[in-house]
Amino acid sequence: MFAAAKTGWRAFWGRWNQREGYVFVLPSLLHLLVFFLIPLGFSLWLSFHDWRGLTTRNIPFVGLENYQFMFGDTRWWNAVWNTLVYTFVSVPLGMVLSLLVAIVMNQKIPGIYAFRAMFFLPVITSWVAVSVVWLWILDGRLGLLNYALSLVGIDGPDWLSDPRTALLALILITVWKGLGFQMVIWLAGLQAIPKELYEAAIVDGANRVQQFRFVTLPMLAPTTFFMLITGVIGSFQVFTPVFVLTKGGPLGSTDVAVYRIYERAFVNFDFGYASALAWVLFVFIFVATLIQLYYMRRNLGGMYGR
Amino acid sequence: MRRPWIRGVLAASVAGLGIGLAQQQVTLNVIGFKVPPNEAGTPLDKAYQEFIRQFEAANPGVKVNALETPPDFDTYILTALASGTAPDVWSQDGSSLAKVAGSGQLLDMERCRQAVPSFNFSRFFPNVLALHQGLEKGKTYGVPNDFTPMVMYYNPEAFKKANVPIPNKENLTWDEFLNLTRRLTLDKNGKNALDPAFDRNNIEQYGFRVRKFPFEWVYWLWSNGGDVISPDGKTASGYLDSPASLEAITFLRDLMLRYYVSPTPSALDALQANVGFLDLFLQGKVAIFPRGHWELVGLRSNKNYQPARVAVMGNPYKTRPVTVMYESGFVIPANISPEKLTATCKFIEAATGPSYQNTKVLTGIAISGNQSVAANAISKAPQPAVERAFFNQVRYARAPYGARYAAYPAVETVLESMMERILAGGEVKAEVAKAVQEINRELSRGR
Repeated sequence: MFAAAKTGWRAFWGRWNQREGYVFVLPSLLHLLVFFLIPLGFSLWLSFHDWRGLTTRNIPFVGLENYQFMFGDTRWWNAVWNTLVYTFVSVPLGMVLSLLVAIVMNQKIPGIYAFRAMFFLPVITSWVAVSVVWLWILDGRLGLLNYALSLVGIDGPDWLSDPRTALLALILITVWKGLGFQMVIWLAGLQAIPKELYEAAIVDGANRVQQFRFVTLPMLAPTTFFMLITGVIGSFQVFTPVFVLTKGGPLGSTDVAVYRIYERAFVNFDFGYASALAWVLFVFIFVATLIQLYYMRRNLGGMYGR
Repeated sequence: MRRPWIRGVLAASVAGLGIGLAQQQVTLNVIGFKVPPNEAGTPLDKAYQEFIRQFEAANPGVKVNALETPPDFDTYILTALASGTAPDVWSQDGSSLAKVAGSGQLLDMERCRQAVPSFNFSRFFPNVLALHQGLEKGKTYGVPNDFTPMVMYYNPEAFKKANVPIPNKENLTWDEFLNLTRRLTLDKNGKNALDPAFDRNNIEQYGFRVRKFPFEWVYWLWSNGGDVISPDGKTASGYLDSPASLEAITFLRDLMLRYYVSPTPSALDALQANVGFLDLFLQGKVAIFPRGHWELVGLRSNKNYQPARVAVMGNPYKTRPVTVMYESGFVIPANISPEKLTATCKFIEAATGPSYQNTKVLTGIAISGNQSVAANAISKAPQPAVERAFFNQVRYARAPYGARYAAYPAVETVLESMMERILAGGEVKAEVAKAVQEINRELSRGR
């Protein structure tokens, strides 16, 4: 038995290529362990404790108390609702608008690269710079948007200070900022569609709309799936624009799940409860992703190797 | 090799001397006694360096390592305390004292009194020192460094424009304050808010500014005998929803929504579209606003500043004058090593004495926690009348909730949302009832 174990050990370490491989991936593994797996486990552990961040000893175990507290936390559920509204509006809106832009940017027109770069610029611009510009654009009295609306006789609201419009304004800003990135993904998808399919469609008498409906859209299904999944995950995790532009206000109208978690952790120093909320958010995202996977596989099964 | 024992004794003596010398040398890591690099060479920088030089000269064997205050100090100190790497002395914000001291992370300063018998606590304002003594009977977590009572800043030029005499009382009653602010609120035709023809849609000068932030309004409840939470910190029922508290909240709401003496949040945003609030105040667009001593720094560096545009009075009251104090006190971590304890206590004794506390006049951010230094600072201040007005309000100052209740940060968030909804037109009783429920839930978690 001992000899067999020894042989097994030798077999394992004896494969130099494999051993070298482990050495090569070790830095990444360590990084993953230290900065991802350990914090992940710690956060799960924290969610069952009442930790105020001040001491690493005698942290009280509270069982499911943090999770129970969440059920009666109206501010959390308001934030979850806002996150859902944000997701259901911003993801489809962003996808549709970026697809339209991508289709235009896929044409062979002079200066197309410059146009693509222009659309991509907001993606690489910092949120702070973007916020300053949008705060001015959306200002109720001096803003560019309300000035434009006034030209057609509309008295625009104070977009970010009015609880009825603040979330909408936030959605528009994030859609605008993410448009360039989504456009690039769509462009990649569009350019991967074989030209022969369009030629065949034309031969069959399909017009532009029919080509789009029966060739482009189906062929973009993997891209659509990718955009939807990543879009929903990203939207559930929206934080920066809320933090920079509205701080969850006015009247909690832009309070979103991650902002609530942030406030609980780093304003109230209630790390245990914040960790519990973070895990609940993870479950929401996980379930939402599973639902999308199920739907996609059921409807587009052939494309996903079912 | 003769008499080897002599060599042994000599060697032991030298080694002992070395150990003794090493024990004498203590390095204190202190935060708050160093200016940021861009302020190097300023009078404040020189004053800090001189204070440290004097302390080191008076205490041979003690070296002071002054560290710059890190950004996001609250998070920094939490992390440092949790990891056991906190500095030996820092100035802890009184508003978060309960959170830090409540978990046993701070040294009871009575140990300092024992270590350094000359350290006399009678130098401090008693009510400011009491802020450090409210958590546990017989324990003193920190001692005052500096503080400010919340007061009412007013612009005398705005009074002049409205033809309203400056009140000759330090603290007005609510009725007097309401009457005053209505007279100070002017429309574009120069009519005040008491005039039946007053045009509330075209206000050019507001009498006051009400905002949602609890630090600017909790003392209004106290001034009517109300409160937010019970003294034991276990419930808001019967306190925030008491008739006295409801009356105070209603009064504040009415200042904005019934009497129009304060701009609404959106009107204030509009006024501040191109300028900061201090510009508005110094231009006379808002006559009175509540704030602490720190605001003098911003006011005096504003391009519109003129001494004649800044004056101070106490907070209005219904049953008794009262205000809240925002304070910062010197604290020592509970795990301070025995060899550092005496040196640290001596350092705080020196830092609460005149040589360091006189720097408060240079910064202008707050009032010294040392009574005699604060009294002497009045004549040295750029505006002695303003300084005296602050000084006179000290006796009414009460500790903030954060100094007593570790759960207050979560309560404060609820209070802010409640007031935001009320100032947006929400019904006072209903909103307060909702807030009470939410606060009780927070308090029930038993920190």
